[in-house]
Amino acid sequence: MVGSQLAGNLLPRDLHPLAWWVWALGLAVAASRTTNPWLLLLVTAVVVHVVVSRRSDAPWALAFRMYVYLGLTIIAIRVFFRFVFGGAEGTTIILRLPEIPLPVWAAGIRLFGDVSAESVLGGLYDGMRLATMVICVGAANALANPKRLLKSMPSALYEIGTTVTVALAVFPQLAESTQRVRRARALRGTGGSRFEVLRSIVVPVLEDALDRSLTLAASMDSRGYGRTGSPSRASRRITGTLMATGLVGVCVGVYSTLDGTTPALLATPMLLAGLGLAVAGFVVAGRRVERSQYRPDRWRAAELATALSGIAVAVAMFRTSSVDPTNLNPSLTTLSWPLLAWPPVLAILVGLLPAIATPPPAPPHVGLDDMPDDAPIPARSS
Amino acid sequence: MRRLLPLALVVAVVLTAVPATAPPPAVVGLLETASAIDHSKGTPGFCTDDRGVTVVVDFQELGGTTIVRCFPGATDGTGLDALKGAGFQIAGVQRWGEAFICRIENRPAANEAVAVDGRPDYREACLDTPPAGAYWSYWHAGNNCSWSYSQWGVKNRSFLRGGFEGWSFSLNASADSNPVPRIAPVRPGTTGQRCTTDPEPPPTSTDPAEQQPGVDPGGSSGAAGSGGGFGDTSSGAAPGSGSGSAGGGPGGGTTGGSGGPGGEADGSAGGALPAPLPRGQTTQDPSDNVVFTGGDEARDVDDVIREQSGASRYAPWATAGLVLLLLVGAGITAARRRARRT
Repeated sequence: MVGSQLAGNLLPRDLHPLAWWVWALGLAVAASRTTNPWLLLLVTAVVVHVVVSRRSDAPWALAFRMYVYLGLTIIAIRVFFRFVFGGAEGTTIILRLPEIPLPVWAAGIRLFGDVSAESVLGGLYDGMRLATMVICVGAANALANPKRLLKSMPSALYEIGTTVTVALAVFPQLAESTQRVRRARALRGTGGSRFEVLRSIVVPVLEDALDRSLTLAASMDSRGYGRTGSPSRASRRITGTLMATGLVGVCVGVYSTLDGTTPALLATPMLLAGLGLAVAGFVVAGRRVERSQYRPDRWRAAELATALSGIAVAVAMFRTSSVDPTNLNPSLTTLSWPLLAWPPVLAILVGLLPAIATPPPAPPHVGLDDMPDDAPIPARSS
Repeated sequence: MRRLLPLALVVAVVLTAVPATAPPPAVVGLLETASAIDHSKGTPGFCTDDRGVTVVVDFQELGGTTIVRCFPGATDGTGLDALKGAGFQIAGVQRWGEAFICRIENRPAANEAVAVDGRPDYREACLDTPPAGAYWSYWHAGNNCSWSYSQWGVKNRSFLRGGFEGWSFSLNASADSNPVPRIAPVRPGTTGQRCTTDPEPPPTSTDPAEQQPGVDPGGSSGAAGSGGGFGDTSSGAAPGSGSGSAGGGPGGGTTGGSGGPGGEADGSAGGALPAPLPRGQTTQDPSDNVVFTGGDEARDVDDVIREQSGASRYAPWATAGLVLLLLVGAGITAARRRARRT
């Protein structure tokens, strides 16, 4: 029984999308706690490894590269701005640029001038942190099927979930459109100057993305999304207010919980109040929306392992960072190699679990979007 | 199973929100030795002549022996230059940089619990402006003059050659009760001499880059960009390094009439009139000084931090190896998949 369960778990299938999201957000939270470049590099490597070994050939999975490029751009911009606006914090000057004098009203802002290694490194570490978080979100987008994500939303989260899913799918959608347009151009063998290439790509890409959004909206409409029966005006207003206020409260609460510098007083009460409001909203909305699910995605051992490994990494980083912040935020007062202790390294390695403990994705053409996980793979007539 | 998911999310949020308790006990024992001096800079003890500036670091409630060192440099500079030049190891906050000194000699250490009112287990992470209840207050004094609380930021003030720079940890003190460094600002051999230094004028504008007259803005490291606490009225924390907050002021001095506007009128009175009352003369007697050290026996700050954080010499190498291994593994997987597809 156990054996067959295990074998069933490792047969190719797509994992529940929310499991990937929990895993990726856990790693992103872990990355947000540190500016230690070693740890950030390790988080990125773990994420890249899992994505490469577990992504499908679906179009949204190809967008991961874009997120990596976006991350590199972020780092480059962060470092560049340290050169432009006052990088003289610290004593190790690596570059002397002529300073551009500014009028009195721009006091406190400095253009160019001496650039110190300390401030450039500070920008690099900061940029790496943001880039790692972006790459984590990219991993979730690459691994989780957005359409299934929408499908598995509980009915209480129906309205918000639709919006969020559509919004999250925009970037992968754009990436996919870009690839399609470029392939089409390559097939036609068209060349031209750089500017022309840009124009001939950007316009079709935007047009394509818009067309597909409209198609998606139409297909969702025809499947009954967006239909809410006939609620009264008042109840619709109450639901909307509760949901929006509650979720904003949750956002503020989560932010102040995760950010080490905001007062602790703001964190927990805000989070609890927001959660309360949102739950009230969910209850009201859930009572209103009646929707059945056709063969819902199930949470099985692999899903749980994935989600828990992400949560474990985040929790472990919180624990280590409150014991020992020096290690996680390397001091730049004296230039030295950033220090590193074992516990956070081992904690981040837990995030590798999905690369081993999850089944490989369903091969293309077999796992159609709407096919549930547990359906038998249709035998192909040869 | 799906029903469990919201629950799991809530559990995750709560778990991450709960702060970790009790640091490992091994760490606490290290704190007493947690200081370090850059021996290549400055000299231990008081300056012996009127060219250098003596820097006093008084840990007050943090515990630890007060350190007195001299920056014998023959050039003028900012308070920050004096502090660094005397060999002290400092850390600024991440938000303002070295314009706001948050650790001196690794105190308060990142893993050291500081009992701030209302936050008994506060730890200084040096990310943002420290709380008003626990910060390094910045003082200065001419030789034989009383200590006065600096109205200027550490990057905006020029130190007095032959004078004193004082850093005193202020724990749960108000603007009026900030603790004065417990070392009399009197150079050895000059006891009983008059205070001849005029009180410093406070800043005249709210410009964070305003320099005290006498500071060469070009020469000092990072004259602009000092923002430590400056104009940061919302947090109201730590008036010490913000020149905009006028809370501390001469009131912190120990003598009546130290600083203060009253003292300025008699500056030019001379000649026939009776000798003016000593202005700003210190009342601290050097024989009452707390025990202090020149910091000679202190260890290197990097070693101390490495020990405190439990960092391992091999962990970075292992991590670099792991990163490489994972990326190579990913590359192989990707290549194999590409081969299978074609």
